[in-house]
Amino acid sequence: MAVAELTGVAGAIAPRRRRGRAALSGIGGGLAVLIPILVLSSFITYSLGALSNSNPAATILGQDAATPAAVAKLDRVLGLDKPLVVQYWDWLTQAVQGHLGVSYFTQIPVSQSIAQRLPVDLSIAIGAVILGLLIGGTAGVVAAIRRGSWVDRGITLVCSVFSTLPAFVIGIILVVVFAVTAHLLPANGYTGPSSGVGSWLEHIILPSLALALQLAADIARQLRTSLVSVLEQNYIVGARVRGLPYRRILVRHTLRNASGPALTILGYDFPIMLAGAVAAEVVFSLPGMGQLLLEAAQTRDIPVVQGVVLVISTFVIVMNLLVNGALAWLNRSNRGVSA
Amino acid sequence: MSRRSLTGRSSILRLPSAKIAVIILAIVLFFAIFGSMLAPQNPLTINANALYQGPGVHHLLGTDYLGRDVLSRLMAGTRLSVLTALEAVVIALVLGVPLGIATVFLGKWFDFAVNRVADALMTLPSIFFAVAVTAALGNGLVQAMLPIGVLLAPVFFRVTRAATLEFTSAQYVEAAELLGGSKVHVIRVHVLRKVLPTVAVTTATATAAALLAVSFLTFLGIGVQPPTPTWGGVLSSDLDYLSQAPWAPFIPGALIAITVGAVNALADAFRDRTAPGALPMLDPVIKTHSTLEVADVRQSAA
Repeated sequence: MAVAELTGVAGAIAPRRRRGRAALSGIGGGLAVLIPILVLSSFITYSLGALSNSNPAATILGQDAATPAAVAKLDRVLGLDKPLVVQYWDWLTQAVQGHLGVSYFTQIPVSQSIAQRLPVDLSIAIGAVILGLLIGGTAGVVAAIRRGSWVDRGITLVCSVFSTLPAFVIGIILVVVFAVTAHLLPANGYTGPSSGVGSWLEHIILPSLALALQLAADIARQLRTSLVSVLEQNYIVGARVRGLPYRRILVRHTLRNASGPALTILGYDFPIMLAGAVAAEVVFSLPGMGQLLLEAAQTRDIPVVQGVVLVISTFVIVMNLLVNGALAWLNRSNRGVSA
Repeated sequence: MSRRSLTGRSSILRLPSAKIAVIILAIVLFFAIFGSMLAPQNPLTINANALYQGPGVHHLLGTDYLGRDVLSRLMAGTRLSVLTALEAVVIALVLGVPLGIATVFLGKWFDFAVNRVADALMTLPSIFFAVAVTAALGNGLVQAMLPIGVLLAPVFFRVTRAATLEFTSAQYVEAAELLGGSKVHVIRVHVLRKVLPTVAVTTATATAAALLAVSFLTFLGIGVQPPTPTWGGVLSSDLDYLSQAPWAPFIPGALIAITVGAVNALADAFRDRTAPGALPMLDPVIKTHSTLEVADVRQSAA
């Protein structure tokens, strides 16, 4: 859970900065920001291997075969005798072409292991975004329309509870309620969509929901706040006076103007959701990226660790760019509406 | 805004939510210091005759799959969780706050470079990174919380930088400079003091995030060897025996959620008092504009 994004303070200041920047420069400017960030974060990721005082060649060869000559030879083969920056450059150019090296222990290409496991996390993450937007969007709109009523207070209360509960706790509650007690859904395991969409959905709905509830709570709270402030604007009153139907006002004039902050939340919650996906993998025993990373960390399988972190951080960075782009687009079309 | 007028400028403890939060955190802190001494039973003692017991007289919070007393395990596990959370927060504070102030005074290039590094750090998914660091530096909670601290630093950096920018452009700072005050004096008297409330709010929110990260990492089994009790560890061992004791995970889960919630509530209360509207205190001149304009002003000033 990118901890940075967890704390509200950064969220309070950064989105406005980013929105301004994105509105000015759009996706092209976004790319100019994206590439240095990608290079920096991938360098930090790669340096991890160098930081470790583990000796990969000795690890691969095993205790008996690890004579100094053999270690030196394998170091040369692996390129570990080169300076760090050169090693990093080699690794990065390979990574861009989809080669992330091979596992020290299983000799399986890292990109192959990741390709096997990424669909699990993508399934639950996309499921979670859809569920989060649906639940959070509905709750936020209902709370804003009925503001001050008991419905509003109830939604606010539930939202505060869910945004406090970490995904792994929510996941366990869902397992206990829906799988162990009610036997409605499977408690663990994963089957791909190729072996039946129904069973795939059955296996991803609980993990997705576990991730979605926090996102939904954040979206609902943000949407309610911005909807209420938009609903009190003069142009909304004006639209009502002109006799426009309430639904039209709500969708065209209010939601459009109020959805920016909620969208930002989506961008900021995405890293948290990836961490939540690891939690969901553990709670629901899903064979995903998190499990791959945990296993690799225990055995100090550095290429796997580097590969997983690289892929995940690239996802986070690209997601941020997409959200910024969407915000820029929203801002521009909003200007069109209000002009 | 109505909340603010209710509390006025008085102590944040007037807020009931803050009062409850302080009481909860005092208990947690007390357990962090004395928990392992006060635990009613040895947290490691296995009792084959008392497996999966519900809360009762002998075991106030029940027993786990080895018959160990859950209350004792949670009490004994408090110190490690709290200490390592604080470790991360201290790292973040020490890295973020001085850099946040320094970037405002040390020129454009330094500001640009540090900002890009902060941007890059903010994109790194911290839990993944924490796990990766244990692969490199060894499997320990102290090692695992190092990257959490480093990745929390940009939050402190940004908040401090924004607040510092805010105050250095204020007229009284300009006046102090014109009156011949040295840079160090101006920073210490006019900037640091004003920035501190914002840093305090950030510290609270960061503590909540760090506590959550600790419980999550220990839940994943990172950083501790099995018999050592931790909050997350108790939770994850309960997970394997859901069919025998489906209520068991709720106890450590609630403990984690309540503690994190209390820190967050305290942060909210503090923010409402010192920096209403989530933005750091603004100049009265700028305050009349909308917050978005202020952000734009701030950005163009940057």
